[in-house]
Amino acid sequence: MPPPLVIETHALTKLFGQQRALDGVNLQVGPGAIGLLGPNGAGKSTFMKCLLQLQPITSGSAKLLGREVGREGREIRKRVGYTPEQDCHIPAMVGCEYVTYCAQLCGLPFRAARQRAHEMLDFVGMGQERYRKIDTYSTGMKQRLKLAQAIVHDPGIVFLDEPTNGLDPKGQAQILELVQSLWRTYGISVVLSSHLLQDVDRICEQIIIIARGRVLVHDTLENLKARKRGAAEVVVADGHRELQAACARQQWQCELLPNGHVKVEHKSDSLNPLLRLLDELKLAPLEIIPSPNALEETFVQALEISHATA
Amino acid sequence: MPLHDIRYQHWDGVHLGLWARRLVIARNGVTACLQTKGLRHLVGICWMTGLAVTAILFLIGQLLVADSIVVQWAGNLNPQLQGIVHMLTSWLEQHPEISVRTTQNLLFHYFCIYLMRVSIFVLGIAMPFLITRDLASNAIIIYSSKAVSRWDYLLGKFSTAFGLMAVTWLGPVCAAWFMSNLLAPDWRFFWHSRAALGHALFYGVSSMAILSLLALGVSAISTKEKSTPAFWYIWWILGGVIAPIARHTQPWLRHLSFSYNLDQIALAIFQPGEDLKIAQDNIPLLGNLLRNIRPETMAALNSPALWGSIFALVLMLVLAGWVISKRVKPE
Repeated sequence: MPPPLVIETHALTKLFGQQRALDGVNLQVGPGAIGLLGPNGAGKSTFMKCLLQLQPITSGSAKLLGREVGREGREIRKRVGYTPEQDCHIPAMVGCEYVTYCAQLCGLPFRAARQRAHEMLDFVGMGQERYRKIDTYSTGMKQRLKLAQAIVHDPGIVFLDEPTNGLDPKGQAQILELVQSLWRTYGISVVLSSHLLQDVDRICEQIIIIARGRVLVHDTLENLKARKRGAAEVVVADGHRELQAACARQQWQCELLPNGHVKVEHKSDSLNPLLRLLDELKLAPLEIIPSPNALEETFVQALEISHATA
Repeated sequence: MPLHDIRYQHWDGVHLGLWARRLVIARNGVTACLQTKGLRHLVGICWMTGLAVTAILFLIGQLLVADSIVVQWAGNLNPQLQGIVHMLTSWLEQHPEISVRTTQNLLFHYFCIYLMRVSIFVLGIAMPFLITRDLASNAIIIYSSKAVSRWDYLLGKFSTAFGLMAVTWLGPVCAAWFMSNLLAPDWRFFWHSRAALGHALFYGVSSMAILSLLALGVSAISTKEKSTPAFWYIWWILGGVIAPIARHTQPWLRHLSFSYNLDQIALAIFQPGEDLKIAQDNIPLLGNLLRNIRPETMAALNSPALWGSIFALVLMLVLAGWVISKRVKPE
C-alpha cells in the first residue's frame, strides 16, 4: 500500500489582480524531503502560503496531510510547521519564551510546551543565547530559532522557505544537516523552497520545479538524474591530460573544469565504460560524481521550455 | 556537551482546546504590557483609589450606626455637630435602602468615570503591544501559521485590552464594593448596594468592550510604535477639548469624543440625577445643600444624549472593524 499523500492539489489557482501567481497546479506528493525550485517570482512562496492558508485560494482545491485546505485550517496547522523567509519573531521576547509561546499556540499545555521548547532549541544547536532577547540575535540564530518554532509542536510536515538565507557556509551546512535529519531520521516530511540548487540536491528526494505559476517538473531526484545519465565528473590527483586524450580517442566530450575536476560525457547509462577506461590508464580516481549537474540542467531546460511556450 | 538527549523527540500528548489557545494570546499580551513600569504604577494607582473608595464607604456606613466611632468622634469635636450627626444617623437608619443605594450609586458612578479615564491612558501605553508590534515585526505570519485563525488572534488581542482594563477598572470596582460592604455595620448593605454594583458592572463591561475594540482599531493603523499611542491620545484629548466648546454651537460635534459618549452612557445607566433628587427631597440638612446644584447641571445629569452617543460609538466601532479587517492580514 503506497504511503498517504502529504500534498494534493487540483487545478489550484491564485490570482493577484490580473496576474496568475498559480495557474491550475495539479500535484500529488507523497511523504519525504521535497524540494520546491523555481526562479524568483515563480510562485513557490505563493504555493506554500496557499497550502498554509496564509493566502486565500482563488479556485481549485488542495489537501494537506489528507485534510481539505480552507475547511480544516486550524486542524491542518496543528500538524504543519512553517519557517517564513523573512524575520517574523515577536519583539522583546527571549528565545525560549518565544518557542514556548509558539508551542502553546499549537495547543500544547504550558509545561509540555516549555519542555519541548528547550528540547528543540537543543536540537537546533542553540545554547545559553536562548535566554537573550530575539532582537539581539544574529541571522544564524534567528534561522535556528525559526526552525525550532516550526517543529516545536511535532508537525507531520514542515515548510521551509529559503532556510539558509543570510547564513555563512558553515551555518548553511548545519541547518541543512538538521533539515535532512528531520525526514531521514525522524520521519517528518520537509518541503524546502529554495533557489539554491545545491541545497535541494543535497537533502531532497523529490523535486518540484515551478515557473510562471505552473508545475514544470515533478519527479524524484533519482529519476531526474537518470534522465541525465551519460555524464560524470572525475576527480583525479594527476593524469588529467592522459584522461582527456583517452576520452578524445573514445569520441567522448571531455572538459577540464576550473575546480580541477574532469567532466566526461561517456554517453552510457552505466559508469562501467568510464571505469574500464580509467583502469586501462591506471588512473585511480579520488571521486566519481555521476550526473553532476542533472538538477541544474533539468532546471534550466524546464525554464527554457516554459519561456518558449509562454 | 548537554547532559540530556538532544535528539528530536516526538510528542503525543493531548492538545488544548481553542479557547485555551486564545487565552494564551491574551495572557501573553497582558504579561507583556505589565512589564512596562509606568503601566504597573498606573495599576497601583487604580487599586489605591479603590482602597480610598472603600475607606469612604466605610465611614459612610458608620454613620448608620448610632454608637459608631464617627459619631463619638464628631461629639468630641463639637457637641452641636454630634447632634446633627445623630439626627442624620437616625434618619439614615430608618431609610437604609435610600441612603446606601443612593450613596453607593453616586460614588461608584464617579469612581467608574475616573477609572475609565485612567484605563484610556493605560490603553495608550499598551497600544504597541496590541497589534502594532505584530504588524511591524511580521509576527502576524507566525500567528497565522499556527493552529489559530485570524479571528482567534483578534479575540486574543481583544482579551488583552479587556484583561488589562479588568485589572485597572473592573477589579478595583468589585474589590471596593465587596470590601466596603464587608466592613459595613450591617449585612443588608450587600443587598441595598446591589444596584450600584449592577450599574458599575454593566457600564464597566460594556465600556471596556467598546474601548478594547477601538484600541485594537487604532493599534492596527500604523506599524510605528510611537504613532499608535499618539493617535489614541490625540483623539482622546482633542475630543475632550471639543466636547465642552461644541456644547452651545454644534452639539453633534461632542460625539466625536469617545469619552464623552461613554460619559453619556454612564449617566443613562447610573442615573445620578435621580439619586440627587432623592437626596434633595429626603435627606435632612444635606438635602438643602444639594439644592445649590445649578439647574443646567441637573438637566445634563437627567437627560443624557444617549442615542446620539450610541450611534456615534457604533460608527466608531464599524470604523475600527474596517481598519482591522484591512490591516490585520497574514500578508
